[in-house]
Amino acid sequence: MAEKMELRDIEVWDGNMAASQAMRQVQIDVVAAYPITPSTPIVENYGSFLANGYVDGEFVMVESEHAAMSGCIGASAAGGRVATATSSQGFALMVETLYQASGMRLPVILNVVNRALAAPLNVNGDHSDMYLGRDSGWIQFDAYNPQNAYDLNFIAFRVAEDHEVRLPAMVHQDGFLTSHTAQGVHTLDDDTAYSFVGDFKPMNDMLDLDHPVTHGVQTEEDWHFEHKARQHHDLMTKVFPRIQAAFDAFEKLTGRKYNIVETYNTDDADAVVVCMGTAVETAVEVSNELREEGKKVGVIGIRVIRPWPYDQLLDALKGIKAIGALDRSSPNGTFGMLYNELAGTVVNGDEKKVLTNYVYGLGGRDLLKSQLREIYAELLANAEAGKPTTPLQQLIGVRGPKISFH
Amino acid sequence: MIDNGWDEFEIGAMLRSFDGAVKDIATTLQEDRPYSKNNSFTASVADWRIEKPVFNKDYCIDCQFCWIYCPDISIISRDKKMVGIDYDHCKGCAICVEVCPTNPKSLLMFEEKMDEDEALAGWPEKENKEK
Amino acid sequence: MLEIRWHSRAGQGAVTGAKGLADVVSTTGKHVQAFAFYGLAKRGAAMTAYNRVDDQEILNHEKYMNPDYVFVIDPALVYTTDVTINDKPETVYIITTHMSTEELIESQPKLQGKNVHTVDCIKIAQETIGRAIPNTPMLGAFMKVSGMYDIEFFKESMKRILAKLPPKIVDANMLAIQRAYDEVK
Repeated sequence: MAEKMELRDIEVWDGNMAASQAMRQVQIDVVAAYPITPSTPIVENYGSFLANGYVDGEFVMVESEHAAMSGCIGASAAGGRVATATSSQGFALMVETLYQASGMRLPVILNVVNRALAAPLNVNGDHSDMYLGRDSGWIQFDAYNPQNAYDLNFIAFRVAEDHEVRLPAMVHQDGFLTSHTAQGVHTLDDDTAYSFVGDFKPMNDMLDLDHPVTHGVQTEEDWHFEHKARQHHDLMTKVFPRIQAAFDAFEKLTGRKYNIVETYNTDDADAVVVCMGTAVETAVEVSNELREEGKKVGVIGIRVIRPWPYDQLLDALKGIKAIGALDRSSPNGTFGMLYNELAGTVVNGDEKKVLTNYVYGLGGRDLLKSQLREIYAELLANAEAGKPTTPLQQLIGVRGPKISFH
Repeated sequence: MIDNGWDEFEIGAMLRSFDGAVKDIATTLQEDRPYSKNNSFTASVADWRIEKPVFNKDYCIDCQFCWIYCPDISIISRDKKMVGIDYDHCKGCAICVEVCPTNPKSLLMFEEKMDEDEALAGWPEKENKEK
Repeated sequence: MLEIRWHSRAGQGAVTGAKGLADVVSTTGKHVQAFAFYGLAKRGAAMTAYNRVDDQEILNHEKYMNPDYVFVIDPALVYTTDVTINDKPETVYIITTHMSTEELIESQPKLQGKNVHTVDCIKIAQETIGRAIPNTPMLGAFMKVSGMYDIEFFKESMKRILAKLPPKIVDANMLAIQRAYDEVK
């Protein structure tokens, strides 16, 4: 029986420690992991909890991230609660197996500490790896601070393992900006945290010897499409009600309220930025300051990236005239993901909205409050003019001549 | 296999071997197992064969070589005694004939359409090997 | 909002110091943030760590900062890096050096006209802890200069944070904090 850990009501934890503590509290059966900066401390802390008797489970050290996720898939198919963590190049190496996990409907939890993708090699945070996972059939939650990284792990386990859902989930946090930034985290005691997620309830597990199953079957044109259609259907229809229910239960338990789409100062706003990660909070601070100057600006934070919150965003964007989509990943030959998704979201609506795209913060480049003020000034001008007053896509915070497109 | 629609099967790239719960499946004979319709045991590949193996029990020494080597588990053996061939799953590869050590062989390949009694009636004699 | 920037070498404990300070401050009901610029993260390489303290929830995740306090825990960094970058007129400096404040300012003219305090955290750490880990003495000096907390409360809090270390090392750290508190000028 695992030992309990006494926690203070508020612990000063960085995002990595917050994620490891949540993983400890839900008592995972198998963690198969391979270290990579900046997510290494998640599994390092977890390994030390396990070695010190705080977890009854297995820690499997493997030779690569591909093997780490493969181990997780095997353990999950066998019928255990399973999780791991990775970043960047490790995530990229995992991609092939990510599709296996979701297609096999295995509720693996993956903490992704977002980091840039080489080349050039860079250990700092941007959203390239997060974007790489967006078609893989996983649920993707996004944390803006260490508290979120802690809380969203419980939500992720509860939603993913639900037999109505049975899909793997990623909990994203910004490399260094969240993962290595210590902030106050309101904790749950071990028993409360565990009961929020509950005992793992196996489904079609290979270790149920009375009901033998074959996992990972091959299908060709006769069956493949039906399986993918079922998975897509469940992502589109079954996941949000369960996430909302988990958010509601979590608010009841802790008083901390999460929303599928987070809105700040948006009620009468003319212009908003839509962004993810720590940028959301910095933008909220800037929007608060601008509100004091009488400027009607707000922030929309994407809390759940997949499934894409189409209805929630349509609702959140009602009445808003100008939208700035802030992408922290190089689009490499098109608009940023948020721009494209938002364009697809608003294009059939009745309201005319001006949508522009900002690419920022690649490889850990600082997002400055002064830059956000300039963005808001441009968006307000767009709202006033009813059409773009700037190029549709601009790269901000990059040295050299101004770089923009369309 | 029934061509169900996308909403008519259990989720996951997963198939059940049996209908309902099974106990001691390892000691249950194939014909007694509650194979599900998804199990390949219920799918016949008999029409893949051009030639079929015929078993002649008069010469068999129950060495079990054919049972071990058959790639499709189509040699029926009970209590280590050769019983016959599972013609629903045999693809006619002739490996059983190749590995049969008796003289004459206890398994030989015949045309698919050949009657079994006719095949047994024309079974070759013991071959005298030159020393 | 109180903002602090640490100048250190990787391995001297600036991150631990910043997190320890954040931990102590958090117990008094304030909101905290502690983070660092790791850069190449080689032991000995110059690096910076940061603290933010506020009564409100801290939303700002900028790495950019106009610090209220600058801590320099390695004496050579005053010359090899610009410790005054992005400062403001009221920024307070606490700098590790074997020199007097006057000698230090004379040797680094950038510090002229600034509010500079000095303390030899390296020497204190070597004489108490036995290793040149100048992070905890810097916090002792900070308690004196800022008057943030009573030194006894601060030491008790640090004892809890350092509890994983052997008792002898914890005691040596307490001594180091007290000496820096007494010796900072």
